[in-house]
Amino acid sequence: MSAVVESPAVAEQATGVRIRDVHKTFHRKRRPGRAALEGVSLDVEPGEFLCLLGPSGCGKSTLLSIIAGFTSADSGEVIVGGRAVTGPGHERGVLFQTPNLFPWLTTWQNVLYGPKARGVLTAEVREEAAELLETVGLADARDAYPHELSGGMRHRAAFARVLINHPGVLLMDEPFGALDAITRAGMQRFLLELWQKRRTTIVFVTHDVEEAALLGDRVCVLSAPPGGTKAVLDIGLPRPRSYDDTETLEFVQAKRRIREVLER
Amino acid sequence: MTAVIEAVVVPRRRRSYRRVGTGAGSLVLVLVLWEAAARVIGDPVTLPTVTETVRTFGEYLAKPYPEVQGKTLLQDALISTGRILAGFLLGSAAGLLLGASMAGVRVVRELADPVIAVVRPLPPIAFIPLLVVWFGIGETSKIALILFGVLPVVTVATLGALDAVPAELGHASRSLGASPLHTMLHVRLRAAVPGVITGMRIAMGGAWTAIIAAEMIAATGGVGFLILQAGNYLQTPLIFSGIAEIAVLGFVFDGLLRLLLRLADPTAR
Repeated sequence: MSAVVESPAVAEQATGVRIRDVHKTFHRKRRPGRAALEGVSLDVEPGEFLCLLGPSGCGKSTLLSIIAGFTSADSGEVIVGGRAVTGPGHERGVLFQTPNLFPWLTTWQNVLYGPKARGVLTAEVREEAAELLETVGLADARDAYPHELSGGMRHRAAFARVLINHPGVLLMDEPFGALDAITRAGMQRFLLELWQKRRTTIVFVTHDVEEAALLGDRVCVLSAPPGGTKAVLDIGLPRPRSYDDTETLEFVQAKRRIREVLER
Repeated sequence: MTAVIEAVVVPRRRRSYRRVGTGAGSLVLVLVLWEAAARVIGDPVTLPTVTETVRTFGEYLAKPYPEVQGKTLLQDALISTGRILAGFLLGSAAGLLLGASMAGVRVVRELADPVIAVVRPLPPIAFIPLLVVWFGIGETSKIALILFGVLPVVTVATLGALDAVPAELGHASRSLGASPLHTMLHVRLRAAVPGVITGMRIAMGGAWTAIIAAEMIAATGGVGFLILQAGNYLQTPLIFSGIAEIAVLGFVFDGLLRLLLRLADPTAR
C-alpha cells in the first residue's frame, strides 16, 4: 500500500521547467561581447530526466546557471514550477562539478545547513537527515569532515545536502566530470536508483554522449557556440535502467543518434 | 566505513606524539651543545652556562633588575605582553575590518590598495622616533607601533583569504535557501577565517620584533628594556634570560593562534 501512496506524493513535488527564447551575452572590456546563448527554448516535464549535451563552450552551464538563478538572462523567460526565476532558491537543488561541501562542517552539519539557514530545523528534519545519510551510504561518516571523505562520498554527501530541501528540480552541472571512471560509474548507478525512487525532475549537463544516453529520458543537444537548441532526442530505453543496458543494441543506436546530431 | 575512519585517525595521533618527542629531543640537544660550548669557553660574560642562565632566570623572576627602580622578569613580561595584546588585538580588528571592506566595496579597495602597497614594506621600527615625538614614551606609542605593524599584514591576509573563497561555495549556500546576509556571514567570512588566522600568526612575529626594539629605544620597562639594561652592565646570563622569556612568550602566543586555527579549520587538525 505504501508504494501506491508514496509515488504520487513524490511525483507531486516534481516541477516542470519552461525556457523561452533565452539570450545571454557576456560582456568584455573594450571588446565585442561573446554570445553564450542565442534563443534557447526548452520544456522539461515534471519528473523527467533531461540531459543537456553539447560541445564545450556551448553555454550549457550558463543555461543551468540561469535556471539556478546565479546568472540572469538578457532576455527571454525561465519558469520553474509556474514561477519566474529571479534568484537562487532551495526549490531548485544544484549539484556542481565539485561537491562544494562546507569544509568546516561535518557531513551531518553540511546536510542540515539548508534547513538551519532557513530556520526550519525541526526534529522531523533531523530524523529525515539521518535517513538520507543512510540512503546515500554515509551513516557511518556522519561526523567526518569533507576532507576525510573520498571523492564519491563527498558527492553523495552533496546529494543528501540538496535532497533534504525537497527540491522540485535538481540541476546538475557535469557533477561526475572530475571523478575517476570507476567512481563515476558508481555515482551514475547511484543517481539512476535515486531517480527511480524519487522521480524528481533532473536537468543534467554533460559533454559525455554515453552518460547522456544512459541517464536521460530525453537528450537536448545544444549547437556550437553561441548555443541554441539543435535537437531534442527521445531515449527510448526502458526504465529502470542499469549499467548492463550500455551493452544492448538499443543503447548503441541511441548513442549513434546523439552523435549524428552533434556532428551535424 | 567506521573502520576506515578510525584507521586514518589512530596512526595520525601516534605520529603526532612521535613528532612532539622528536621536537623536544632536538631542543635538548641544542641545550647540551650550548652547555658544552660554555664550559669550553669558560667565560660567563661571553657565554654563560645553561645552568647559570637558569639560575639567573629563577633569581630575577621575582627580584627587580636594576635593583633601583627596576622590575622583575615577571613584571617585564607582563608589561611587554600587555602592549603586544593591546596593539595586536586593535591591529587585527582594524585589519579585518579594512580587508573585509576592501573585498566587498570596490572604491575602498581602489583607495586602500596603493596605500597598503606603499606602507607594508616599511619596517615599523622606522616609525619609533616619530611615535615617541607624537605620543611620548608611554604606552600609547608602543601600542600604536604594534598596531601599525599588524594592520597591513592582517588586511592583506583578510583580503586574500576573502578573494580566494570560491564563488560556487556562496552559490551552493544561496541555492540551499540561505539569504545573502547569511551566506556572507556563515560562508564567505567563515571560509576566510583560516587565512586570516595565518595572517595573524605572521603579524605576531613582526609585533615581537617591533615591541622589543621600541622598549630598547624608549621605555622604562618591558623585556626589551631589561635586555638593554643587562647588556649595559655585561650581565650576559640576564640577557639570555630575557631572550628565553621572549622565546617562551612567542611560543605561547603562536601556540594559541595555532590552536585557534585548528579549531577553525578541520583540515589543519
